[in-house]
Amino acid sequence: MDYILSIIPQMLMGTVDTLKLFFVTIVLSIPLGIFLAMGRVSAFKWLRSAISGYVWLLRGTPLMLQLLFVYYGLPFIPVIGIRMDDFPAAVLAFVLNYAAYFCEIFRAGIQSIPVGQYEAARTLGMNYSQTMRRIVLPQVFKIILPPVSNETITLVKDTSLIYVLAMNDLLRTTRNLVQRDFNIMPFLVAAVFYLVMTLFLTYMFNRLEKRFSRYD
Amino acid sequence: MKKIEAKQIYKNFQDLQVLKGIDLEVGEGEVVAVIGPSGSGKSTLLRCLNKLETINSGTIIIDGETLVSTTAAGQVQYAPGNESIRIATKMGMVFQQFNLFPHMTVLENLIEAPVHVQKRPVAEATRDAEALLQKVGLLEKRDVYPRRLSGGQQQRVAIARALAMHPDIMLFDEPTSSLDPELTGEVLKTMRNLAEENMTMVVVTHEMGFAKEVARKVIFMADGIVQEQGTPVEIFEHPHNERLQAFLKSILK
Ligand SMILES: Nc1ncnc2c1ncn2[C@@H]1O[C@H](COP(=O)(O)OP(=O)(O)O)[C@@H](O)[C@H]1O
Ligand SMILES: [Mg+2]
Repeated sequence: MDYILSIIPQMLMGTVDTLKLFFVTIVLSIPLGIFLAMGRVSAFKWLRSAISGYVWLLRGTPLMLQLLFVYYGLPFIPVIGIRMDDFPAAVLAFVLNYAAYFCEIFRAGIQSIPVGQYEAARTLGMNYSQTMRRIVLPQVFKIILPPVSNETITLVKDTSLIYVLAMNDLLRTTRNLVQRDFNIMPFLVAAVFYLVMTLFLTYMFNRLEKRFSRYD
Repeated sequence: MKKIEAKQIYKNFQDLQVLKGIDLEVGEGEVVAVIGPSGSGKSTLLRCLNKLETINSGTIIIDGETLVSTTAAGQVQYAPGNESIRIATKMGMVFQQFNLFPHMTVLENLIEAPVHVQKRPVAEATRDAEALLQKVGLLEKRDVYPRRLSGGQQQRVAIARALAMHPDIMLFDEPTSSLDPELTGEVLKTMRNLAEENMTMVVVTHEMGFAKEVARKVIFMADGIVQEQGTPVEIFEHPHNERLQAFLKSILK
């Protein structure tokens, strides 16, 4: 018990890094995903193709590979070669990757709204942006809540991939402790930490779903 | 004055000719019923009037303002963006599938466009909406979500929602076709009341009783052409056109 108490401060520090990456990724990738989805269903064929190519690329390759590429690969690219610190590099890779997944979720959501909703809005004089903001997206949010919830919980666990960038997130901190102390207890504590985070998210999403179900 | 003047409307979807030179005139306060077999282009005609579909040729003048015209060289010219929206939204539309906004209460459905499109104050739009709900007999449902309403109630809300924009003209596309027979009456009654208040209406319908009693003029369409038009008596008692005779026989069975 004393041992557990003694490692908790370090593990909390690791958790802070994990949560930072998690929140920044969510806050950036969801709006980006919405914009991509709107482009994906827009009238411009070149835009639709470009975005579906993007989605195909980002969903078709491992996130780990993308992460390594942004961190170690980008600096070697001629002209635009940039070298980033580990945190911005991780954020960039995670946002680009998760935006692709969110794009697909939102696209499916937008396309499930009956065309009659757009037509009703149009006959009432609403323009495209009013129709999207006030009529389509609020209905989409309700539909996509379960898949977004899934994706978000996956992200909590995916953040552990950044241990390859030598960042001291929860997982790497844990591993260091295990190696230092020859004790596997930190693994169990880490599991509990991850569980608490995902449990909290599950709870929040359940509440959101209840809120949105009022019009059923 | 004419509220709607449509001349020589042609519309095709790719290779499919749907409207082949339709003429339609609707006077102020007139109720025009459009009847005809399914697939004859009735919905498409209504949707061309309010620009849900764009035409391939012809002229549409709403309340003296040109929505679209066609030059001698065959060039179709719509009024510029905002103008054509303003002209098209002089017409309210009621759909077969109601198309209420499911995430909004009845009241929110009614005030959405008055507040966000016409920029009217919420309090005023709400008073107006409540008066309309009273008129269609659904005031006590103002805070209910559409899914809790019967089809007939939903359609009456949809009518009230269209009226909340104070349209000059109302277009109805088979407003009772997706309702159980016992619910059509309440919707038809609402429409009848509207006609008695001299609303200009174009009603695509399979309700021959309604067409007979309420319409000033009945138009029979088939194959994208107006085959015959006239007063209800002319159309229902003395039909000349063979297609019309066959159509009437088929629905009276
Ligand atoms: N958006 C569309 N794209 C292609 N064909 C269409 C479209 N809308 C209607 N049509 C076709 O046009 C014809 C007339 O349809 P419609 O106007 O709905 O007839 P009605 O309302 O008289 O039943 C039908 O053959 C229908 O399949
Ligand atoms: Mg139709």
